[in-house]
Amino acid sequence: MTAQTRQAKLSNQNGASSMRQSRRARLVIYITLILAVVAALAPVYWMLTISLKSEVDQFASPPRWLLFSPTLAHYAEAFVSRSFGQYLATSATVAVLSTICSVTLGTFAAYGLARFRMPAKLNRRLSLWILSTRMFPPIVSAVPLFMMMRDLRLLNTMAALVIVYTAFNLPFVVWMMRGFFQELPRELEEAAMVDGDSRLGALFRIILPLVVPGLAATAVFCLIMSWNEFLLALVLTQTDAAMTLPVGIAGRVTQYEIKWGVMSAAGVVAMLPILIFAMAVQRYLVRGLSLGAVKG
Amino acid sequence: MSAQPSPTSQKKPTRWRWREPSLAYVLIAPTVAVLLALSVYPLIYAVKVAFQSGTGESTHWTLEHFTRLLSDGFFLAALGHTLLYAAAALTFEFLLGLGLALLVDRPLRGRGLFRALLLVPMMLPPVVVGVVWRLMLNPDFGAINGTLRSVGFNTDMLTWTASPKLAMLSVIAVDVWQWTPFIFLVLLAGLQAMPQEPYEAARLDGSSAWQTFRYITLPLLKPAMLIALLLRTMDLLRVFDQIFILTEGGPGFATETVSLYIYRAAFRFFDFGYAAAMSFVLLIITNLISAGYIRLLQRQEAA
Repeated sequence: MTAQTRQAKLSNQNGASSMRQSRRARLVIYITLILAVVAALAPVYWMLTISLKSEVDQFASPPRWLLFSPTLAHYAEAFVSRSFGQYLATSATVAVLSTICSVTLGTFAAYGLARFRMPAKLNRRLSLWILSTRMFPPIVSAVPLFMMMRDLRLLNTMAALVIVYTAFNLPFVVWMMRGFFQELPRELEEAAMVDGDSRLGALFRIILPLVVPGLAATAVFCLIMSWNEFLLALVLTQTDAAMTLPVGIAGRVTQYEIKWGVMSAAGVVAMLPILIFAMAVQRYLVRGLSLGAVKG
Repeated sequence: MSAQPSPTSQKKPTRWRWREPSLAYVLIAPTVAVLLALSVYPLIYAVKVAFQSGTGESTHWTLEHFTRLLSDGFFLAALGHTLLYAAAALTFEFLLGLGLALLVDRPLRGRGLFRALLLVPMMLPPVVVGVVWRLMLNPDFGAINGTLRSVGFNTDMLTWTASPKLAMLSVIAVDVWQWTPFIFLVLLAGLQAMPQEPYEAARLDGSSAWQTFRYITLPLLKPAMLIALLLRTMDLLRVFDQIFILTEGGPGFATETVSLYIYRAAFRFFDFGYAAAMSFVLLIITNLISAGYIRLLQRQEAA
């Protein structure tokens, strides 16, 4: 749906509903929404406070939500004296490299699937097959991927994660980009061809610049998914040199002696880039989360 | 899934021959190669591991892994936990998400802000969700018990993830917290994409709010609902991350799901054949359930 029609609908509704909707009903709605927002955010805020509290404040009873003397000691401990800085670098490297690979490969494939007519409904069949590779639970591929990477001597390397995440994100890129390409009229390339461009020339000169917003959103989704991924990283990396941030956090959480401040500091750092990215792709959120099935 | 719009068929033939697909094959080949190597080959590898037993010279084909899992009480219990977890979380997420979506689908001041803030839990890395809720649910200094104590409740029994009785409830509640926003988001998008005409007709006919909801909103929202439920169900059946952090399947076996049990079999006991066999059962169950949804969706589209 385009922005104009939504706008139109909203003003339309406004006129229709202002008579029906009493002030009290609106108040109830606002209170409900505020409670929902508090429920959604309070736990995250609690982690943030723990990451900033000294041990005395952490274990205070009743819990201190607002008043405590903040300290950055846990952040220093996590990222300077412990290995979380290294995990952070690994997470970032793996996410960026795998995103570059999957977006590059997937965009070309999506263009091929969206624009060319192949015999025997091959476009549709290939698209559905590509989607289906994304549908099975990751634990199903975890066992064979572990054995493959062991045989290739790639366990505990960033390369293993980059390869696996590239494959993991490819179907997503293909489906997202296919949708964006299909929204552009074919006449664009036809005009460029008349002007003397080759097919690939038309793709690079005319089409790609037009899908840049969609391409950027798709890349950001890939970054988020690689950054958040846990199970495959847990299976494929167990040494400090190749461990991602989620695996590093999980390794510490499940130990008996838990340093809650350090844990929370690592959690806050793992969460911040994701929240910023998510805000950046708000417009495409529904589409991305439904693999392009709902064009919100 | 939206059907592919039929290409140039109705248009007059153009100078550019879209039909000639050789370039398309070149563009698609690398992606297909990567997926064959890293999605299809592993699956074939898993079949081999699941149906073979023994090492080196004595390797032979066998069904023993599959016969074993039928009589493995732990596997069946893990399966039960997974289904219970999925059904309970899905129900609450759907009802809460639908309620919120209906509430927000109207002109409200600060609507965009409400939407953005409500979506935060869903975007968090699952491991961070695990950390957040370990902090909230900790019986000694967690915010929940601390708050309850400060208003006079006795929280000695409320040990949440450490209690065999409350652990399952706790992990389900965490999933509901994290993923209700997803249902909310998809249904809100569905609501906002709805045509206005039926509502105006209903208003002219003097339909009540309930009638409008029951006979216009619900049927029109059904495709969005099915997609939201399908994606959630597939995710719920594979749940691993948050439970691994929150309880590691415990206490005892109380929150062990199929994914966790497979992980344990493969990477704690290095029983790869058995793990692969269980993976196939999980895969088949997931596929059967999603096939059901997809059939409903197609019937919806046809109607």
